[in-house]
Amino acid sequence: MKREPLLLLLGPVAFLAALFVLPVAQVLVLAFDGGDGGPGLAQFARLFADAYHPLVAWRTIRLALLTTLATAALGIPLAYVMHRSGGWVRAALTVVIVLPLMTSVVIRTFGWLVILGRGGLLARMLEPLDLVGRNFSLMHTEAGIVIAMTQVLLPFMALTVLAAISRVDRSLEEAARTMGAGLWQTLRLVVLPLARPGIVSGSLLVFALAASSFVTPMLVGGVRLPVLAGAVYQQVTGTLDWPFAAAQATLLLVLALLVILPYARLGRARGA
Amino acid sequence: MVGGTPPVARVLAAALCVVVALFMLVPLAVVVASSFSASEFLVFPPRGWSLRWYAEIFSSRAYVDAAWFSLRLATVVTLLSVALGAAAAIAITRHAVPGSEALTGFFLSPLVVPTILLGVGLLMASSRLAGGPGFWTLVAGHVVVTLPYVVRTVAAVLARADRSVEEAARTMGAPWWRRYWHVVLPQARPGIAAGAFFAFNVSFDEAVVALFLRAPGTETLPLLIYSKLEFSPDPSVAAAATLMILMTALLMVALDRAIGLEKVAA
Amino acid sequence: MAELRVDGLSKRFGAAVALDGVDLAIRDGAFVALLGPSGCGKTTFLRLLAGLEAPSAGTIRIGGVDVTRLPPERRGLGMMFQSYALFPHMTVAGNLRFPLRMRALGDRAAQEAKVREALRLVRLEGLEERHPRQLSGGQQQRVALARALVADPPVLLLDEPLSNLDAQLRKDMQVELMELHRKIGLTTILVTHDQDEALSLADFVVLMRAGRIEQAGPPREIYARPATAFAARFLGAANLVPVVVRGDLAEVEGAGHVPVEAAQDGPRQLVLRQEDLALRDATRAGEASLPARVVAIAFHGPGLRVVVEAGPHRLDVLAPPDLALRPGDAALLCWQPGKALLL
Repeated sequence: MKREPLLLLLGPVAFLAALFVLPVAQVLVLAFDGGDGGPGLAQFARLFADAYHPLVAWRTIRLALLTTLATAALGIPLAYVMHRSGGWVRAALTVVIVLPLMTSVVIRTFGWLVILGRGGLLARMLEPLDLVGRNFSLMHTEAGIVIAMTQVLLPFMALTVLAAISRVDRSLEEAARTMGAGLWQTLRLVVLPLARPGIVSGSLLVFALAASSFVTPMLVGGVRLPVLAGAVYQQVTGTLDWPFAAAQATLLLVLALLVILPYARLGRARGA
Repeated sequence: MVGGTPPVARVLAAALCVVVALFMLVPLAVVVASSFSASEFLVFPPRGWSLRWYAEIFSSRAYVDAAWFSLRLATVVTLLSVALGAAAAIAITRHAVPGSEALTGFFLSPLVVPTILLGVGLLMASSRLAGGPGFWTLVAGHVVVTLPYVVRTVAAVLARADRSVEEAARTMGAPWWRRYWHVVLPQARPGIAAGAFFAFNVSFDEAVVALFLRAPGTETLPLLIYSKLEFSPDPSVAAAATLMILMTALLMVALDRAIGLEKVAA
Repeated sequence: MAELRVDGLSKRFGAAVALDGVDLAIRDGAFVALLGPSGCGKTTFLRLLAGLEAPSAGTIRIGGVDVTRLPPERRGLGMMFQSYALFPHMTVAGNLRFPLRMRALGDRAAQEAKVREALRLVRLEGLEERHPRQLSGGQQQRVALARALVADPPVLLLDEPLSNLDAQLRKDMQVELMELHRKIGLTTILVTHDQDEALSLADFVVLMRAGRIEQAGPPREIYARPATAFAARFLGAANLVPVVVRGDLAEVEGAGHVPVEAAQDGPRQLVLRQEDLALRDATRAGEASLPARVVAIAFHGPGLRVVVEAGPHRLDVLAPPDLALRPGDAALLCWQPGKALLL
């Protein structure tokens, strides 16, 4: 009955090949447009030709790194707490972190605009405490972008790490306790080292998503703090410099793949 | 679990839970609260309470058109995505296809590629082949984005379902369409329902591909919200966003009714 | 080395009672087996001793010290888990050093010496740098044992340590455990569902059922004198025959009368162990007997398991391999009245 799977696969494979692989491949090809009719790295060279573009790339990487650190700082302890709590606490926390994922990133970022802006929630809370001035706003700041992206991407870190921690046999923790290790020692010497593959996967995932993020940095950061994705958009719709846009998009892809590939390999090594 | 968790740890854990819950939910709460603001400015807390912005969006051409468009788009995308995704999942889980791991990777690959790339690629392709992007380009883009979700949920359900029921149907002489109607599709139903939910939701919420493929007559609701936020935010945006949140919540309730919310792998 | 004492220990999980007011005193140096079917509370008991669960009521004293409120890391016990719980990310030496590091026992050199000593004790010298996944099941088990012993705990807790081993390895390890206990004389508490294991290893067996102690005592004693039908059935394969006692005779309904040791009149259970029964065509001096008919014969390695019927009652008999009887044959079921027990 070998015909059946082929028939089933025909549609989806053809669809993805034509409407995903080809368009993306086209962009990659365009990125290597040497400008003189042949292939070359001319477009990529332009990335370093002035002070502006390397800055954009560096900002993208920096913000992605900070977001990864922030999601790790919150997400790893959260994952452990979820792992140790039973019943309704764990279910409630799962809902709390998954629910926002079901809404558009535009809406979630919108919320941050209201919180971080002038006269927003944050300002209103900090003003009476005399911690900030009257025009305090985290809008159009890198800090604001990181905060918003952390909220958007925290679920990915938490759930990935939770899956890894759940695979650590409980009796290992118990054995450590019977051997004299307190809670913090057990976490440091047993749980975390064994959950490390999950922590690495989660970090890579968040980094890749943060680096290719568009809506949140655009809305929170504005045009004065562009990131790679925003620069691509400007090129494509504004200056209509498609080869250059393609080069930047390729750079984004490379960044995303560089981190995702070891993640995929780690996943398979662990039998995920 | 283990007796003797130090109270310090318990307190810290509780505090962390509260902080995370607030951190995750306050942005959404703020949007909902802002939609009831009486004034024209997006400040917090809102000055006065009113439903005027809801009235405004229901009578606004731009909002209504965008909402309708998003609905139509999401429906078409869901139908296509489910058809293609379920077929792929059935092929991979129920038939010993050589290289099924690679195949699965292929179908999940759109998750890995930044949507920017897809947007640029489709924009370029449609400009060259069709004079510019349109409704169907957008459908194509969204199907690509949502297909992995459908494949994943249907494959997960089918992998756990009893294969031998289908095999029994075969040995009893059932032709392929009977087999699908009576065995395969019912077995895949929870996966298809979950996949459809994700496809619809993701398509409705999607903003990046929609932005790149924006053309006259193809403005989605998230896109409208995005544009307004960029230039002229007022609480009508909050009202529209709140309704979107409400729609998602209703969809989740419907999904729960249909199959029970054991959706795990997100 | 320490004695252990438990008073009124109870543990509830929600509405379910896992342990119901258990009192037990274990003398220093004893090898105690907690025996019982699954769900009887033996593992819960062990975990309470270790501090991995907190009791709902009762106290635990080790070496005279009340440890009930102490967390597991402060009790200083040695515990071996059913799954071994070896740290996969550490070498054998790393695993063994762990309790020494946690309790800050000695400097690095002293710790290394103890690690070597512990490995020598379980006959695994030379495997310090291996990782657990490179070891066989039997080796992993010995490392787990060594790890429980390396910090010289006052009490050793073993949670079904041999259940993951195949039969031969199991027997070997049982002998090793006995040897170890003889050499070190550590107070040891072993949880097992295997009555053979409990009877052969321990010098004190605690039989548990439904969260309570059914019977406790030296193996020979509780085997020879089970106090309840449950104990009789759990320890060794026993036949229980309902009888009515009058004076020094017991009437076996539908089968006949047999002499019994003097006991109270009335309905009782007669306990006859398989190995105490014989099938003959004539009784020997002093024996009690009942007429019986052979129903089935099954080969059983060291002998034959024969099912007979005496009246309406079915009994299992362990017979020598040269038994000349066939299914359907009649014979006399014989036993020494002193070996039978009345419950």
